Amino acid sequence: MTQKILPVDFDRDTGPFFTAARDHRLVYRHCRDCGRGIHIPSQTCKHCGSLETEWREASGRGQLFSWTVTRNPTHPAYPVPYTIVVVSLEEAPDVRLIGRIDGAAELEAGQPMQVWFDDVGEGVVLPQWRPA
Amino acid sequence: MSAASDYAQYRNRCAIAGIGRTEFSKDSGRSELTLACEAARSAIADAGLSLADIDGVVRCDMDHVTQGALIGALGLANVGFVGEVGIGGSAPSAMVGMAVAAILSGQADTVLVYRALNGRSESRFGAAIAPRSHAGGQGNYDEFFTPFGLLTAPQSFALLAQRHVVEYGTTAEQFGAVAVTCREHANRTPHAQMHGKPMTMDDYLASRVISTPLRLFDCCLETDGAAAVIVTSAERARDLARPPVLIRATAQAPASGMSGGMMFPSITWNDPLRLSPGKVAELLWARAGIGPEDIDVAQIYDCFTISVLLQLEDYGFCPRGESGPFAASGALRADGALPMNTDGGNMSGGYIHGLNHVVEGVRQLRGTADVQIDGANTCLVTSGPIGISSAMVLEKAA
Repeated sequence: MTQKILPVDFDRDTGPFFTAARDHRLVYRHCRDCGRGIHIPSQTCKHCGSLETEWREASGRGQLFSWTVTRNPTHPAYPVPYTIVVVSLEEAPDVRLIGRIDGAAELEAGQPMQVWFDDVGEGVVLPQWRPA
Repeated sequence: MSAASDYAQYRNRCAIAGIGRTEFSKDSGRSELTLACEAARSAIADAGLSLADIDGVVRCDMDHVTQGALIGALGLANVGFVGEVGIGGSAPSAMVGMAVAAILSGQADTVLVYRALNGRSESRFGAAIAPRSHAGGQGNYDEFFTPFGLLTAPQSFALLAQRHVVEYGTTAEQFGAVAVTCREHANRTPHAQMHGKPMTMDDYLASRVISTPLRLFDCCLETDGAAAVIVTSAERARDLARPPVLIRATAQAPASGMSGGMMFPSITWNDPLRLSPGKVAELLWARAGIGPEDIDVAQIYDCFTISVLLQLEDYGFCPRGESGPFAASGALRADGALPMNTDGGNMSGGYIHGLNHVVEGVRQLRGTADVQIDGANTCLVTSGPIGISSAMVLEKAA
């Protein structure tokens, strides 16, 4: 089967998310001034403009924000149907992360979700989400 | 930011004096450069001008035809202003806005604004975005999306649509009302790609699911073609071949809490159901000095049915969350309260990345549209709702 698309981990703003995932840790960018989470991660806070931001460990719990069951095939490494989920982190609801569930998942808005770590090869690990 | 009252002096100072386009098809059989040249020549001739009159050129950032390529191919000898606006379909109204800015600041008199694409036969817009082996690292932030299988525009908009379903209970028939209305208008517009292909609500509901809740007919066309418009001062336009269509105001604004990247990150921004068009609308109505109640006809950027629903709320045509029932009421039809996408739009007319909406807006106010709205004096034209969006109000000259 064709190789799935792999994220790079050399980007100075986003790379630590993926290097942490390799150790089965979920991290997000946190603003020490306004206390909100920042995603897409950056060194500056998009909410308050502060430069005082840091990586924080997430609990791995979240809530389902939105989802879509994809039935139209566009890439051989991603056989349909599959479900894309968007999950808000429990401790930082401004941070919404993407995950993929095989098949057509039966889901409900707001339902609790749990992270798991998907080893996709070449040393790359993706944080994925499933119903808690 | 300048106060809206400061903008009053710029209202209706510029006009669209010429419009041009190629045929819209699945395979143009020629290069994008050739298409751009044809649309440009057509717009210049429509205005009663010659190539020597063009002294400004504005490109969309996603156009493969650079300003240099077009200037060279047309042999434009008098260009003194060259501009570019992004991103993609969010740009066309702001491209016209840039032409206005160039003219009112004395940098150009007559500006050519163009968009050309072989969007079906060459670079398909519905295909996976950048399906490379590795994602990210170039400020596109694809690393958070494509490795997870979020690969295409329909999936990205499906996530917005599903959130609209969650918050407001929007139904398939309400999404379908947008698609069916566009198709009705296309069937009365001979140059529309879906002319001669009627579609009922049952046809819409029977179309295959692409990515829930979006079906095939929630998605716009992929088109080969080009469009161009000529912008000049209102004063000069009065002496040209066509009745000038005045540019009352243009506006461009970002989404709250946005990031880099194109469409995928939109679901992570502050309020994904109120992206940039909400801010564009505030600016536009203030600059124009009129509001949604004063609009006679609208060309609303329709890459997907959800895009239209969100913008109906953003521009104030209905309360937040009520765009589904508003669309299903028939309001968007030619005989409705807000006739929309009178040539079929991106959904059924032809996808020229939003410059097609500008061309149709001009046709309405000239009184030469195929689905002509009686007494149309004002037209809202919007561009893509993702990223930094833009819109404008066109007005019939007195």
